[in-house]
Amino acid sequence: MIDIVGLIASNLIWILAIVIGGTLISISVHFIPVGGAPAAMAQATGIGTGTVMLAAGAGIAGIIAAGAVMAVNQDLWVVIGAAAVGAAVMLAATMIVATWIYAYGVGVMPVSAKVKYDPITKYRQDLYVSQGTEGHGIPTVAYVSATIGGLLGGLGAGLAYYALMKVSTLPVTNLNLVAVVSTFTIGFFFINSVIPSYNIVGTIEGFHDPKFKKWPKAAIASFLASIPLGILAVVAVGSLAAVGGL
Amino acid sequence: MTEKKMIPPNTLLAFGVVGGLVGVYLAYFLAPMNPIFVFFGALGAVCASVWGADVVRRVASYGLGTGVPSIGMLALGMGIIAVLFGLSLGLGPAGPLVAFITSCVIGAIIGIISKKVVGMTIPIMVSATTEIAGAGALLILGLSIVIAGSLDFGVVVTEVVTTGFIMMIYIAGGMAMLHPHNSNLGPDETQDRLLALSAEKAGIAVVLSGFASVAGMGAIAVTMLIGLFIWYIFWGKYYGFVKRDAYKVIDVGMLPTEEEMQ
Repeated sequence: MIDIVGLIASNLIWILAIVIGGTLISISVHFIPVGGAPAAMAQATGIGTGTVMLAAGAGIAGIIAAGAVMAVNQDLWVVIGAAAVGAAVMLAATMIVATWIYAYGVGVMPVSAKVKYDPITKYRQDLYVSQGTEGHGIPTVAYVSATIGGLLGGLGAGLAYYALMKVSTLPVTNLNLVAVVSTFTIGFFFINSVIPSYNIVGTIEGFHDPKFKKWPKAAIASFLASIPLGILAVVAVGSLAAVGGL
Repeated sequence: MTEKKMIPPNTLLAFGVVGGLVGVYLAYFLAPMNPIFVFFGALGAVCASVWGADVVRRVASYGLGTGVPSIGMLALGMGIIAVLFGLSLGLGPAGPLVAFITSCVIGAIIGIISKKVVGMTIPIMVSATTEIAGAGALLILGLSIVIAGSLDFGVVVTEVVTTGFIMMIYIAGGMAMLHPHNSNLGPDETQDRLLALSAEKAGIAVVLSGFASVAGMGAIAVTMLIGLFIWYIFWGKYYGFVKRDAYKVIDVGMLPTEEEMQ
């Protein structure tokens, strides 16, 4: 039996970091243009898959980036910076390929149905929305929004990863520690990207979408949900050092 | 729901909890004698997956507002955190039970949060997240003991987590829970067909984890054979149900015209 209370008490700062990370992940999901099945048929703006898949893909890319950097440099800002950039690059790459497919494969132009003028390029939008659809492709504003979402999500994932790595007394290059922490962070990321997707309900285009205003609800929900998850994760990762032969 | 005979939720709950826990514990206590007995864990995982698929069916038929896969990923996410926590405490035989209970508690917390804070209107949300989290934890425990041959935290970490098979469990196990509803949903959805598909998917997960097992050739062979058997039986059943349901004409009405939609 391990000293649960002692582990929690000595790692309060890292539990807080995990909770902040979870909240950041939750906010980040609202920035990502998720079209779901309608977008897969080019009938809604965004990428044609669910929130969870898209956010988790970005989050896992961020965790890989954080893990790779953490092995050589344990500075907090370097690790979470790498995670943020890794996740943002992953989302940007997904979207540029999706844009090619929508433009050259499906034959639709990127257009938003939620705003009359693109807030960034100031281009007229409503004229180009095909009848019976809710926009299609990934317009500039959604692209920029998703990149911000990737940065935030990666930041959250990197923060949770860094915090859990610091909980254990094992060296950061210990393979078992890296594996357990990565598994935890991925599970944590999935939970914190499902909660906001229930808040969004269906599709969202990014920060210009009226649904974006609902983000505080998901942020509070993820904040609350991350507290027990953070405690469990800290106990499990903290007790790794006591296991012999790792 | 048009069909007459439906397995009530409580029967499936009992089937999942009892079957899952008994399977995991039989494997836990019998594996030190002969590693072949880890296949009981696989059977427990199949029970848990059928239970989980039924819960996904009930909760997702209300309409989650986002894809069905989200709830499967949520279940396994909660399960993974709870299982690693439960096993890390070093409680010996109580570990799996603690993991299962922890998972249910996290599920209840997340269910309450999504109802009270996010404002989801699904009436069975809290009980559903509690149940899927429990099913997810049992599924992970059952398949983990197949792979590692033991539920000792150190062994599970080195043989299941560090080797990356945990992600295989995550996705294959998640598939067994979320895919049946995702592919069968609609007006002609029937419970027996959906549950057969879940058992079939779980059979594939058992074959995969048997293949990945480090518990010796005997355990690998027995578990993979049992997995193939489960897969074969339930694939046949599922195919039979599909044919039965497809031959029956079910009138779902015409698509509404534009005027009716106004």
